[in-house]
Amino acid sequence: MYPFTYTRVSGTREALAAGREGGRYIAGGTTLVDLMRESVERPGALVDISALPLHEVTVTEDGVLRIGALVRMADAAAHPDVRTAYPVISQALELSASAQLRNMATIGGNIMQRTRCTYFRDVTAPCNKREPGTGCAAREGVNRAHAILGTSDACVATHPSDVAVAFAALEANVHLLGPDGARTVPFADFLLRPGDTPRHEHALGQGELITAVEIPAHPRPLRSGYLKVRDRQSYEFALTSAAVALHIRDGVIREAKVATGGVGTVPWKLPAVEQHLIGERPSETLWTAAAEHAADGARPLAHNGFKVDLLKRTVERQLRIVGGDA
Amino acid sequence: MTPQPQAAVGAPLTRVDARLKVTGQARYAADFDADGLVHAVVVDSGIGLGRITSVDTAAALALPGVLTVLTHLNAPRLPYGPNPGMATPPGERLHVLEDDRVRFHGQPVAVVVATTLETARHAARLVRVEYDAEPPSTDLSTATDDTPVTYERGDAERALRSADVRLELTYRTARQHHNAMEPHATVARWDDGRLTVWQKTQWIHGAQSELAAVFGLPEDAVRVVSPFVGGAFGNASRIWPQGVMASLAAREVGRPVKLVLSRRQLYFGTGYRPGYEYQVRLGSDGQGRLTAMTHVMRAETSRYETFQDDILSIGQMLYDVPAVTQDWRTVPLDVSTPTFMRGPGGATAAYAVESAMDELACELGLDPIELRLRNEPDRDPTSGLPFSTRRLRQCYATGARAFGWHPRDPKPRSTRDGDWLIGTGMATGAHPSWSVTSLAHVRLDADGTAVVQSATSDMGPGTYTVMTQVAADALGLPVSAVRFELGDSTMPPPVGHGGSMTTPSVGSAVQDGCAKLRREAVELAVKDEESPLFGAAADDVVVADGRLYVRDEPARGETYRSLLARSGRDRLEADGEYVPAGLPFSTHSYSVTFAEVAVDARLGLVRVRRMLGVYDVGRVINPKLAVSQAIGGMIGGIGQALLEHTVTDHRDGRIVNANLADYLVPVNADIPDLKAIYLEGEDDKVARIGAKGLGEVVHVGVAPALANAVFHATGRRIRELPITADALL
Repeated sequence: MYPFTYTRVSGTREALAAGREGGRYIAGGTTLVDLMRESVERPGALVDISALPLHEVTVTEDGVLRIGALVRMADAAAHPDVRTAYPVISQALELSASAQLRNMATIGGNIMQRTRCTYFRDVTAPCNKREPGTGCAAREGVNRAHAILGTSDACVATHPSDVAVAFAALEANVHLLGPDGARTVPFADFLLRPGDTPRHEHALGQGELITAVEIPAHPRPLRSGYLKVRDRQSYEFALTSAAVALHIRDGVIREAKVATGGVGTVPWKLPAVEQHLIGERPSETLWTAAAEHAADGARPLAHNGFKVDLLKRTVERQLRIVGGDA
Repeated sequence: MTPQPQAAVGAPLTRVDARLKVTGQARYAADFDADGLVHAVVVDSGIGLGRITSVDTAAALALPGVLTVLTHLNAPRLPYGPNPGMATPPGERLHVLEDDRVRFHGQPVAVVVATTLETARHAARLVRVEYDAEPPSTDLSTATDDTPVTYERGDAERALRSADVRLELTYRTARQHHNAMEPHATVARWDDGRLTVWQKTQWIHGAQSELAAVFGLPEDAVRVVSPFVGGAFGNASRIWPQGVMASLAAREVGRPVKLVLSRRQLYFGTGYRPGYEYQVRLGSDGQGRLTAMTHVMRAETSRYETFQDDILSIGQMLYDVPAVTQDWRTVPLDVSTPTFMRGPGGATAAYAVESAMDELACELGLDPIELRLRNEPDRDPTSGLPFSTRRLRQCYATGARAFGWHPRDPKPRSTRDGDWLIGTGMATGAHPSWSVTSLAHVRLDADGTAVVQSATSDMGPGTYTVMTQVAADALGLPVSAVRFELGDSTMPPPVGHGGSMTTPSVGSAVQDGCAKLRREAVELAVKDEESPLFGAAADDVVVADGRLYVRDEPARGETYRSLLARSGRDRLEADGEYVPAGLPFSTHSYSVTFAEVAVDARLGLVRVRRMLGVYDVGRVINPKLAVSQAIGGMIGGIGQALLEHTVTDHRDGRIVNANLADYLVPVNADIPDLKAIYLEGEDDKVARIGAKGLGEVVHVGVAPALANAVFHATGRRIRELPITADALL
């Protein structure tokens, strides 16, 4: 661990000022502190934003759900408006981490968490994400847990968040506040694929803060849920996961929102699967046929080839769980 | 002498140290402090094989508070004398910081000492080490063997040729790390050339003799203190480089040093269960009578030591097979030396043998229990000796009834619950019951309370509690009047706390010392004219609740307190000793494990639904602790079967999952209803106390029971552990 300064700010303006000068924001600290202990992250200045007024979950009259960036994972999962309107969000949160971590970690921090790629987290290994230009140890190394979608020659690390998969499925927007004012970024544009610059993981500018994640109003009724496949039943990142939300009216699927986790360098939206579902009536054969598209474009590595089939099966299963046996 | 009333032994006493543990008062190695204590942090090698070409410590030394950085360039050479007192593997232990060779990834290459832990950690990151790296050989499946250890009885090849049924199967097990909750930790202090270490260890006198040998000291110049061990599972049976470095650093800086390994560092150079390849061939007649069994085994070891665990016993003695051959080779790799891990060897062999038996049962269309009954020996087929006790038949019957084994449709994929395929499996386990010479000291004070000491350990099974119970009954005191102390090399030595030997061996020594002391008190009383017991026959006197009385005349008696007060003695003392009788018997503990699993074959998920273990371990001193041990053994087996796997990147020997997020141990959510049944009874051939060991046999056979259940559920025979989603898809 390296020496660093730690400042607690009480207001947004103060936070932005500190951020502009290169301070790293910290809230729950459940990822950043671990990485600092391993010297993977070496921020010189930490700015604790826990006291900022970003702790609210609100719903507007037209049904837009807004989760403040500092809402704890546990609180977001338990919030009645989240639970009733978006089981997929509650389930994704409750299948994440451990109870202790969910009590500390925040929604903003969750989507900012860094990959679990073991080479990234081991400072003695080459890693383009940690030290650009050193190479990717995972491509030819042990890569059972790595991504099959959205990868590049430079990086094959997955984004580890579960709730981000639900946000991607639901086409959330990320509200940001920076030195130049507030802006909103669609979730799909917020987290970046690695390309040639795996170090750049998100759309945040220098000193910019996440203030909230907003779920746009979706037509009702909306059935939704999250399935996470992993070796251990708790406290493990996903091998594969699927977030599914379906709006079914008069026996026909009118809207379908599907994304997967554990397989992509970012939460992976599946428009081909969605398109296959829309306008159709729920059936076993529909789920199977739609899920066939789940791994389109997959580029498996030496040890994660099983994820291609597993991903399709995960999506198929979750379509059936959410959409019913019909 | 009249047998003592049994009050404490057999009672489900709660751990006597439970309050200390849950209130944080139990002091583990890293909890100790010393005046002027400073902190050491290890720098690990970033390559898997090669030479250190340069070390730059300038930036580290420039930090205020850094006292020294020890590397092979400046560390004094240590004597590393022979240590016959400790069963180190053949070869030579790692002489840490003594040359420029890197023998395995993560090997310590420097140790930084500073006045605060934070400074030491920061400085450790600033040490720049350059290497000339070579490609290491770390893959068991591609490396070459050593000379084999062999065993042979009968003509197995011939028997195989004429067998009605032949199977040839190869199983693989993963390297596993112990992952005890407590990390390896040492606080070392030198006083005028004498070394005191507060050290995580399962073997107080082994640690003492090893440090004495390494530093070239007489044994009595080293004191080892270790009152509590936060789990070890075999991993604290020897002194790892960390203990040497802490002691060395303390000597170099002239101040007490604390060195605690990080979780990540626990994967580097502190031992593990070696991965194995295990090929079995079985021959049987049409009725399932085994005619031949051959075993070819290959195991990981380091290049500097040849580690061998007890891989052979199971294949030799579990079944009545006339012809058996074994060919066991260790494979030297560029890795650190493996070590004992709960059920060492046995847990590995049982996976192969008990899986193969299940495959044979399927082949023959026989119930797996029936197949085992048809091959149950009457005498030990290895030695020809009678068994002290071997009640596997009763274990099978009791277990089958309690688990609801029958009726069972043997057809795989015959039971379904929604998306889940349900299967059941069983497997047998055995573990040698050894006992070894042990000593104890007993003191009864004038207030009628006793202190019993033996330099054993309590890594979790409940040594404190069990010895308190044994002593209480042997002295005739309530458990509240007995304090058992352990974990200090100034106390009488037993052997190491491992091999399931502590209760039989130390328990027998404690019982002996307490019986001698009681006898002395009784003799004192019956010869004392003022005692109500004057003139009674000593053999007729028993003691209960601290009161000596004539067995058939309970009103006639007096307390220890009154006896000591009147005789002007402030204490009575006795030394207990246990020396194994070496009786001509085959002595083992036995287990039968039953498991029910659910497998989501589409998603590759295995979920354990319930398990039952049935055990023949002789006398159970404390049923509550025994059940605890069984639960721990089953959980360890669930880890071995389904989750645990130390993964090496063979390109550079790096362990890629050196943390508890990526190395998966079972969590509560993975653990269903686990039940344990201990057969009543005792075994007086193993040790005087009537107990056989139980700490390991509860783990042996768990993994194959689960693997067999997975097969029954799915029809898929996975011959490599752990059984993960990718194998089942």
